[in-house]
Amino acid sequence: MTQTAERTELREEVSLDRPWVTLVWDDPVNLMSYVAYVFRSYFGVTPKQAERLMLQVHNTGRAVVATGNRESMERHVEAMHGYGLWATLAKADE
Amino acid sequence: MSISRRFTPQQDGRLLGRFEPIEADLLRLATTQLLEMFDSGATDPQLAASDAVFGRLLPDAYRDDDEAAAEFRRFTATGLLERKSQNAQIVLDSLGASEPDTATPDSEDRQPVMVSIDPDAVQAWLRSLTDLRLTLADRLQISPDGVVHLATEDTPFLRELYEWLGMLQEELVYAIDV
Repeated sequence: MTQTAERTELREEVSLDRPWVTLVWDDPVNLMSYVAYVFRSYFGVTPKQAERLMLQVHNTGRAVVATGNRESMERHVEAMHGYGLWATLAKADE
Repeated sequence: MSISRRFTPQQDGRLLGRFEPIEADLLRLATTQLLEMFDSGATDPQLAASDAVFGRLLPDAYRDDDEAAAEFRRFTATGLLERKSQNAQIVLDSLGASEPDTATPDSEDRQPVMVSIDPDAVQAWLRSLTDLRLTLADRLQISPDGVVHLATEDTPFLRELYEWLGMLQEELVYAIDV
């Protein structure tokens, strides 16, 4: 049922094309503790990295949480929607 | 003020949760309504596509590409909604059936509800509490700055429920995140 087993690392996947990114957007509902928890448990980042990403979402309105090919980014976005986070994907540098 | 922890980790990896009967009743009621909403969304895709709550529960994956967003939705919405329903059902199953009140009509005599949650179920709880809060935030017309705009006689209750669910979720995160 859950996707926690499917841990993914925050590293660029090899691609000759311009990569895609997964963005998480700030919303007034999700708690900072929960968002940091999701980043840790799903992306497998350290507590410190998760905190930094969470604060970036909170303070600037969004953060890039993953980079890679389009299919992987769609998978991440779907997982984020499963957690109730507001996530989108886009080409890098758009 | 002494702080009694709601969730206590057990040796076998489960969490033991303690709820006042009124809290368990409320959570059961709210989750049942959430489940009904998911069911109506699953049987009526038109509703799911036009309703603001579903718009937030299943947001566009592409901001500037309607076609790609529609395609993403086509491939993911059914599965996401199914998993959200399953999560809500797991919360209901953990809470157990509502205790018949006939033996103790005086609500003060009711015993706390003890809930045992395994690690998979904890994941379902975290997600379902989020879905509940997202749904309530829509009802409360909470704007991006966090301000509640709903002004009806229901507002104080809904707002209290919304905040209580947030507290519950945070307690859950802290309980599993040592």
